[in-house]
Amino acid sequence: MNNLNRLYDEVIKRHNSQPYHFEKIENSQFSLRAYNPICGDRFDLFVELNDTTIYKIHFYGFGCAVSKASTSVMLKAIEGKSVDAARGICAQFLGMLKNELPENEILASEEFKSFVVVREIQSRYDCAALAWTEMEKYLSQTFYS
Amino acid sequence: MGVSLTGIKQLFPIFLDKPQLVFLDNASTTQKPASVIQTVTEFYQHENANIHRGLYELSSNATVRYEAARKKVKDFIGAKSEKEIAFTKGATESINIVANSFDSIVNEGDNIIISGMEHHANLIPWQQLCIRRKANLRVIPVNQQGELILDGLDLILDSKTKLLAVVHISNTLGTINPIQEIIAKAHQKNIPVLIDAVQSVGHCMFNLADADADFLVFSPHKMFGPMGTGVLFVKEKHHALMKPFNFGGGAIREVGIHETIFMDFPHSLEAGTPHVAGVLGLGAAIDFVNNFDLKESSDYTNRLNSTFREKLQAMNFVKVIGQPKKTGSIVPFIVDNIHPHDVAGFLAEHQIAVRAGHHCTQPLHEMLGLQATVRASFSIYNTFDDIDKIIEGLRELRKFWL
Repeated sequence: MNNLNRLYDEVIKRHNSQPYHFEKIENSQFSLRAYNPICGDRFDLFVELNDTTIYKIHFYGFGCAVSKASTSVMLKAIEGKSVDAARGICAQFLGMLKNELPENEILASEEFKSFVVVREIQSRYDCAALAWTEMEKYLSQTFYS
Repeated sequence: MGVSLTGIKQLFPIFLDKPQLVFLDNASTTQKPASVIQTVTEFYQHENANIHRGLYELSSNATVRYEAARKKVKDFIGAKSEKEIAFTKGATESINIVANSFDSIVNEGDNIIISGMEHHANLIPWQQLCIRRKANLRVIPVNQQGELILDGLDLILDSKTKLLAVVHISNTLGTINPIQEIIAKAHQKNIPVLIDAVQSVGHCMFNLADADADFLVFSPHKMFGPMGTGVLFVKEKHHALMKPFNFGGGAIREVGIHETIFMDFPHSLEAGTPHVAGVLGLGAAIDFVNNFDLKESSDYTNRLNSTFREKLQAMNFVKVIGQPKKTGSIVPFIVDNIHPHDVAGFLAEHQIAVRAGHHCTQPLHEMLGLQATVRASFSIYNTFDDIDKIIEGLRELRKFWL
């Protein structure tokens, strides 16, 4: 039971049942899809930019509690941030999941820590990383190529 | 005959190693009995040599045993001759081999018929064949109970139909399809039929004498055999159609620089060094299955299936997907407000292995309006205690998420 309580902690449970900006936006400025063909989890992300700031971001779709909560946490963390900063936050979150961050690194959000547990539950790594990986790729390709 | 099902778990080393394991993902692959593992290990330890090549004893023994396994498969599925049995990498490859061979006779405007509940392995090869040949892929629809709607079958089987490919037992819904009726309808119009028997052979009575399929595929690893081997049965009258799938040694009669004469089916399909140990393991798996009374063992898994379905239906927060009248021991379900992966992940922490996802039947899930389901599937070593454990696990899951 230990792993379960750690995986589904209060942060993940809360973001799963009350996800941040969980809404389908028609005609959004940019949209991207985070999709895992193996499990079928699929979230569409709707991004509104104001100059180079992620001014508003919503998501909608279907996925497990971990992938849904992780997407919700991501939206909260990068909304209002510049593209540069958002990209850094994505790299930080993914680095944290992969155990590649220096110790004592100050995380952009305390809530990130709830996902550290997937280091030990490998089968759920992809769930936690799904939207972040896609967002990092999107930001890199769209703004840095 | 007559080996008791009681205590059968002990014949599987994994359950001695992991006594707590409740393995309910048998539709993905079954566990392997000691006799199969031993056959594979002993081959490499004491008998290893390539087949069809060496004149020394090890090689000729390996060849004899490899061919003996072909005969075992032939008897097991009730084929007329071992010449009708080819060994492949798996059922997926078996279907791809058939689809590749149909390239030469499927032309623009022809059609292939499949059903709406096919595994991707019995969908994509036909879909891609139809794209290549500008042919039409026709689909037998599935109703909300999870059964094939066969009313219109006569209408879609026409003079342009080159093949009907259908699954015997749905890997997602557990539905047992009336393949005798389907085959009879197709044969009335001289249309050959491929049966995907991946979930049926070894789990319930399946014999070509009862179901006159033209092509039959199955995966030994889903009936206690090793992974990496597959079976393709092709009725003799279709052998001329069968094209080599891999080009290379072992499948040829004569090779010149500019042309090659291939061997006949099945050897034309077995280029390169085959998975000899796997095929011998398949032989051991057939011996293992033959130890049991097939009727007794299928009655037993049917009881597990119906008991589990009843218990699930009594839980108001669980919904069993589809209600086909005849089902194999595969049970798909969803839990209210809890994603299938969270269900499977929770059960995994209780040493209960089930599958969650779309089970390689995305179009079927779409038709049912579902993105994913949880699937529990039974084999002869499962017990009623396993059912109690998963039911208890689901109750705890509910409490955990409330």
